[in-house]
Amino acid sequence: MMGALLFLLSTSWRNRLVMRVRRLKQPKYLIGAIVGLLYFLYVCFARFLFSSHSFRYRGGMAGAGDSPENLLFKESVGALILFFIVLLGWVVPHERAALVFTEAEVAFLFPAPVSRKTLIHFKLLKSQFAILFTSLLFTLIFGWSRGGAVWIRALGWWVIFSTLNLHLLAASFARTMLLDRGISNWKRRALVLGIVIVLATGIAIWTWRTVPPPPPVEEITSLSDMKYYAEKVLSSGPLVWLLYPFRVVVRPYLARTATAFLLGLWPPLLFLGLHYLWVARSDVAFEEASVEASRKVAEKVAAIRAGKQHPLSGLKKRKRSPFNLQPTGSPAVAFLWKNLISARSGFTLRFWLLLIWIAVVVGWSAAASARTAGLAAMLGPVVMAFLALSFFMGPQFVRQDFRQELPMADVLKTYPLPAWQVALGELLAPAAILTAVQWLLIALATVTLPQFGPQKLPLDLRLGFAFAGVALAPMLNLVSLVIPNSAVLLFPGWFQTGRDAPQGFEATGQRAVFAVGQLVVLILALIPAAVVFAIVFYALVYVNVLSLSIPLAAIAAALVLAVEAGFGVALVGKLFKRFDVSSETTP
Amino acid sequence: MIEVEGLTKLYQEFVAVSELSFGVQPGQVMGLVGPNGAGKTTTLRCLAGIIPPTRGIIRISGHDLGSDAIAAKKELAFFTDEPRLFDYLTVEQHLAFTARIYQVANYQQIAHPLLEELEIADKADKLPGELSRGMKQKLVIACGLLHSPKVIFFDEPLTGLDPMGIRRMKDSILRRARAGAAIVISSHLLHLLEEVCSHVLILKNGRKIIDGTLAEIRQKYSEQLGNANLEEVFFHATGEAGAPPRIS
Repeated sequence: MMGALLFLLSTSWRNRLVMRVRRLKQPKYLIGAIVGLLYFLYVCFARFLFSSHSFRYRGGMAGAGDSPENLLFKESVGALILFFIVLLGWVVPHERAALVFTEAEVAFLFPAPVSRKTLIHFKLLKSQFAILFTSLLFTLIFGWSRGGAVWIRALGWWVIFSTLNLHLLAASFARTMLLDRGISNWKRRALVLGIVIVLATGIAIWTWRTVPPPPPVEEITSLSDMKYYAEKVLSSGPLVWLLYPFRVVVRPYLARTATAFLLGLWPPLLFLGLHYLWVARSDVAFEEASVEASRKVAEKVAAIRAGKQHPLSGLKKRKRSPFNLQPTGSPAVAFLWKNLISARSGFTLRFWLLLIWIAVVVGWSAAASARTAGLAAMLGPVVMAFLALSFFMGPQFVRQDFRQELPMADVLKTYPLPAWQVALGELLAPAAILTAVQWLLIALATVTLPQFGPQKLPLDLRLGFAFAGVALAPMLNLVSLVIPNSAVLLFPGWFQTGRDAPQGFEATGQRAVFAVGQLVVLILALIPAAVVFAIVFYALVYVNVLSLSIPLAAIAAALVLAVEAGFGVALVGKLFKRFDVSSETTP
Repeated sequence: MIEVEGLTKLYQEFVAVSELSFGVQPGQVMGLVGPNGAGKTTTLRCLAGIIPPTRGIIRISGHDLGSDAIAAKKELAFFTDEPRLFDYLTVEQHLAFTARIYQVANYQQIAHPLLEELEIADKADKLPGELSRGMKQKLVIACGLLHSPKVIFFDEPLTGLDPMGIRRMKDSILRRARAGAAIVISSHLLHLLEEVCSHVLILKNGRKIIDGTLAEIRQKYSEQLGNANLEEVFFHATGEAGAPPRIS
């Protein structure tokens, strides 16, 4: 029986590979694959190609010069991470054990004369494909040049992932058995968390009695200030022993020599063996839950391939309307209303006003209080970085527009509306969401940036900048959103909307091509606005209207961007009108 | 009413629909039939303004769909074989959204009786994911009828409905026709079309083979087939080789 299942696995893998290679005949996949491969090579090998000090990895998990104490600390940190993953596996899930199969596997294997144990073996074997690939990937990305052989890193990752995989599976079986014996999810959670709380209290008491306290918050200047304290807590006392099983799993990865690796390998292999016996001997009826889980996964995959971003989660929950939609008025507002509902979060005006108020109050008190002024000074640049990122990356992530609605294009086409109104309606929701986020960040930046580097920023100047940001953000977002929406209507096959949407190098490369294209067009669109801003600003400075120079220049620039956005909306409308839904949208 | 003159749709070299002309008057129900790949769905999608025809003129209630698309679309409703709904809008929100799109000021007065008639009034706060296929179909119909269309297109309207649903759908189609709507139905269920349609148009390879009233079509083939039903006429007209013999 296992022979047939092995045949299924190997032929599926081979056919998938062949299909992807054949697909490279199409230019869109070939270009995507080349760009994706270059990006991947850069990520993996940049430090070899550019071997200057600036590119050398400095924070390796196990550098050649690590002291035994340092190694123990790193081992403890890794063990702590593993502990939290395992803890979540015991606390969070509430459903019965379910091995997720594809719908085809359910249809073929479940009615077939295949034992439960064989199904588990099949599943374990299948998971090994993913584990081996992930181990290689992690070795390339994280563990190539940090002392020790490559094979040690790869096998180290394999030990960690395999143990985790088996443990989480065994935990799901154990949860199911507890449920069958009448121990509810809440009882189990209370028990697990109770044990954790008792242990944590014991560790806290020990730490309080033996380890010198950490420096006060206002004296913290860097993360290294905290390291000494963390090292003491993690690498001495009871936590070392409590984390022992987890440290054992991490240890082979951190080994620097083959001997150390082999010596460190037998305990986790023993662990793996015990876990395997636990899983293989568990007689848990997982089939029913598996059928349900497989159906959900299939729906999720189909929905993602159809271009929906949130296929399952949240859809079971009805969302309140962001505002009351009147039956008459601009139809574009109906799209805004609809897409804000699809955004799933409480995008009500009241919610955002409350958030801005909280941000201002928290930011102001952080900046005003002497104790937390340092914190505010750290927060300011972070907020500014997020603000800048939101303009460049935001339109890639907030996709409640044509990118989401393309599978419904035939329905949209039947509406008695001019195409520009549909386009405007589709662009409004992501623009509104991004603008709300940016206004929040602007409010935070205004109160947390009393100075920028050595330059003091008085309140009136900050308010001037804030006003400029508030005026420019909506128009800038509309212009930015024109680009991905035009692209999805021009090259529907390139976007991840059709069935069998591409994955892997090709998809990564395609996304990279679009991201760069968007950046270029955005910069081009900004040039006229920047020129107008500069002219108005210097004209006002020249006539000595200093206090209003920034806000007025921003208004002028926003008007230029508004005109550009208007042209953009007209363009997207034209493209939507020309968009032939019968054309090939699949790769 | 619907007027179609020389409708042609090409996909590169492939001819999906060729020189199709017909008309459907208010109160008439026309069945659009043909084997798979005959061009039925393409024709309906052109008529609904979803895809542009390569050539030809389509008039909906006198409005040219090419040059006056908005006025034409205000008069029509198109029901696809698969209910096409927004996953994240409830039944009630679908109606509110549709009302705004079609500017139906008094939509609540229309929507409530419609939901009652379709027996989904108690599902107003449900999402499509919480509805059965039949209920989704009903919601699509409620949205489509909200603006009281004068022209209605159905693509396989009986798919997935239970016997009671089929009966209600047939009644609903006939009631709309009696109220003056011009209706086109595309379906493979010939015996059901026979009960509902006043006219039939048979397509094959994108070309019209025959159209007319059911009586006219039967009359045309009566010499060869005698008192044949639509199914036998269909097989004869389309020349479907290998049609299985009837088991009596």
